[in-house]
Amino acid sequence: MHFTGTQQIKAPVAKVWAFVLDPNKVAECAPGFKTMEILGPDHFKPTLAVGIGAVKATFTLDVQLEDVREPDHAAMRGRGAAAGSAVDMVAAMDLKALAEDVTQMDWTADVNVSGTLASVGARLMEGTAQRLTAKFFDCFRQKIEAPDDATAPSTASVPSSPASESTGAQ
Amino acid sequence: MSTTGTSTIGGMGHRVKRKEDPRFLRGKGNYVDDIKLPGMLYMDIVRSPYAHANITKIDASKALAIPGVLAVVTGKDLDAAGLAWMPTLMSDKQMVLPVDRVVYQAQEVAAVIATERYIAADAIAQVEVEYDPLPPVIDPFKAMEADAPLVRPDREQKTNHIWHWEAGDAAKTDEAFRQADVVVKQDLYIPRIHVASIETCGCVASFDRVAGKLTVYMTTQAPHAIRTVFSLVTGIPEHKIRIISPDIGGGFGGKVPVYPGYVVACVASLQTGHPVKWIEDRSENLQADSFARDYHISAELAANNDGTMKALRVKTLADHGAFDAAANPSKFPAGLFSVITGSYGLEAAHVAVDGVYTNKPSGGVAYRCSFRVTEAVHTIERMVDTLAQQLKMDPADVRMKNFIPPEAFPYKSATGWEYDSGNYPAALRKAMEKIDYAGLRKEQAEKRAKGELMGIGISTFTEIVGAGPSHTFDILGIKMFDSCEIRVHPTGSVIARIGVQSQGQGHETTFAQIVAEELGLPVENITVEHGDTDTAPYGLGTYASRSTPTAGAATAVAARKIRDKARKIAAHLLEANPDDLEWQDYKFQVKGTPGRSVGMKEIAFAAYTNFPSDVEAGLEAVDYYDPPNMTFPFGAYICVVDIDRGTGQVKIRRFVAVDDCGNIINPMIVDGQIHGGLTMGMAPALLEAITYDENGNMQQGTFMEYLLPTAMETPAWETDKTVTPSPHHPFGAKGVGESATVGAPPAIANAVVDALSHLGVTHVDIPFTPWKIYAILEEHGVAE
Repeated sequence: MHFTGTQQIKAPVAKVWAFVLDPNKVAECAPGFKTMEILGPDHFKPTLAVGIGAVKATFTLDVQLEDVREPDHAAMRGRGAAAGSAVDMVAAMDLKALAEDVTQMDWTADVNVSGTLASVGARLMEGTAQRLTAKFFDCFRQKIEAPDDATAPSTASVPSSPASESTGAQ
Repeated sequence: MSTTGTSTIGGMGHRVKRKEDPRFLRGKGNYVDDIKLPGMLYMDIVRSPYAHANITKIDASKALAIPGVLAVVTGKDLDAAGLAWMPTLMSDKQMVLPVDRVVYQAQEVAAVIATERYIAADAIAQVEVEYDPLPPVIDPFKAMEADAPLVRPDREQKTNHIWHWEAGDAAKTDEAFRQADVVVKQDLYIPRIHVASIETCGCVASFDRVAGKLTVYMTTQAPHAIRTVFSLVTGIPEHKIRIISPDIGGGFGGKVPVYPGYVVACVASLQTGHPVKWIEDRSENLQADSFARDYHISAELAANNDGTMKALRVKTLADHGAFDAAANPSKFPAGLFSVITGSYGLEAAHVAVDGVYTNKPSGGVAYRCSFRVTEAVHTIERMVDTLAQQLKMDPADVRMKNFIPPEAFPYKSATGWEYDSGNYPAALRKAMEKIDYAGLRKEQAEKRAKGELMGIGISTFTEIVGAGPSHTFDILGIKMFDSCEIRVHPTGSVIARIGVQSQGQGHETTFAQIVAEELGLPVENITVEHGDTDTAPYGLGTYASRSTPTAGAATAVAARKIRDKARKIAAHLLEANPDDLEWQDYKFQVKGTPGRSVGMKEIAFAAYTNFPSDVEAGLEAVDYYDPPNMTFPFGAYICVVDIDRGTGQVKIRRFVAVDDCGNIINPMIVDGQIHGGLTMGMAPALLEAITYDENGNMQQGTFMEYLLPTAMETPAWETDKTVTPSPHHPFGAKGVGESATVGAPPAIANAVVDALSHLGVTHVDIPFTPWKIYAILEEHGVAE
């Protein structure tokens, strides 16, 4: 599956960069995030619980950052396994300042889901991926656009997505 | 053949109610998953998420730490015992568990043995397997390209090409094509489908360390062949292996191959000394068990302008998945595909098939089709219609013009088969009258004028079943005879044991009817046993509609041997010369003196109490029957469809099936076979197909995606018959179990193309899903 997208974030490039490169911060927005093991500045292992239709799987991902060019380009490669299923992904993003406090993120991702999840969830895969992506960026924007003194709120306190959608579109 | 047996006997031709039904209807069937043995352990299987990958590491420590988990078996463990690979029935070999590489998604990678089913299921998630993915080979045409990744680097030949096979006369075919007025050409794809039997595969393997004997209850259609293969592979003496096929919930060819789970369960039982049960779940069954069809066919038919067919040329690419694990007879890697000339007299034909490996589970299971006959029949029946369309002739007329005439039998086909008997025009005429063909054509013209889409499709197929004669047919060298052993007890009741194995066909009833007919003993006093290799005589099992042609014949011949001996005892009882006796009305009587007669019940008693001095006591016989030829059942099917222009849905309005399977043992059971077969033939025409994504993930892993027919889609089948006995079978019967599965899809396909032919449509591949048909309607501007 190939995905691309463009997000506008109400924050300066440097702030977006710092957030994206911090695995702990990104992980908080990752759908179904459970645990994180940090093996190095560009190597970490998050555990995520993902469900497609009736099938639930807990993936342990091995993520490696690649081609990190501060302040505007980074890529990652990840592979994860769950019982009878596997996911392989390559993603990249480019940041561009639209204004002093507005950043555009252009991103691409190639995701291959294999095994039971692909076999029994094929019909639902694309829709699920889009839903999870939207959820991720909603959370992402909210955290990054929050005032500096309120950066680590628990996920439960994240406002609902329609509000953040309108923020992102401005 | 007499069909006048009194109802008290219940012999040939009687609608005897199935002896097996009382236990099934009361929930007292005994399937493999019903078997529970003391101390039994449970196995579950870790499967590969990747279609093609190197295995870099397997760490079972977390799984082994779970209380109740006793062992995790990997390919390396099996390799140490020389069991990581096993032979297939097609002279290939197949991984039991991989040592370092997986070659299809859902392939077995490791097995967990635990004290409870749920613990085993939980533990497979804790076996950590690291993979290094490789590029998968999914498209069989790309697999044949020189730079394609190798599916099977273990082979000496560094290519994905498995074998090339051909039949017929290429030069003669070319010549006939040169002289023909018209040539029609069509590519067809017969999609990969799955047998999806109600019962999935499984076994209980139980190794008795004291006796040194391995007993395996398993879902197999061929227990004896399995026993021999197990013995050869494991080195366990064959008398120390007992395979028991208890009640089997549908086989359809999918339970002929040996799956890795069976072997691993046996190894686990040998290792632990406990019985080990393994039962697949539905998704495992759909994803990983062997598949059927998957033929990419390119066909050309040459004819004269008057519709006389002259020659057929066919090239096919057969996607066999990662292992050539089909269960065809050894000399027939493409099965009996060369019966592709069908019911028609052709001057010449040439068929070539190439088998190819891809990163998919093994293909080539003979799904209710007697080895690739479905693909052959679909091709020729579509080609006849294509020709009719090209020549603007009625497809019924083209068929009538080209049928092998009834007087031409036995008939040698252009690809070398000797058809035993047939009367094709009679069957088609009967079907046309029953459905009012002329009236339907009139109705179609009227509907077309109103813009409605109605189609009429004909299929006049010839099957080839009953493998088979020992000069041609074997599996791993074992000739494809079959057997029956009959013992008549002193009180005139009987036990008959047969080498074939029922998976729902009703053998316990029909084989008892054969014995009843031959011996004149009532059917209810005859027990038929099968499926236990310790007691049943050796046989090759049930598939390819072979039970009645082979073991059915053996049953009749064994019974006749008993009758020969009975004649001597009867002569003794009647104080007459054996030569002066005749078998009449199920009794031996002195010729011309009906009053002086004795029945088999009295003879049986005498066989143990009052036998002549020159005759051994007892009354039993065994026969291993080597059929002189195959049997060639046939039929004429006519299907009427209506296509909804708003949804693209194809609805079968009527379907008339006239079948001819020679003499019939039990008409009720044959009706049931035809009804089930028609429904299973409709399924791939309208609903079923297995597809893979570009990574080799099978896309129909549950019944949500793999659509089986239900009562909602199934029309009221209208069945009828003609009777053309097989001249070489002891009671004139032919196989029937697969005729309808083979004959139905092209009738539906021809009807759908017929409904769209006025728009310029000349071919559509099955399945006719609403979206596929709707796209065609849109393309031609007739969608609503």
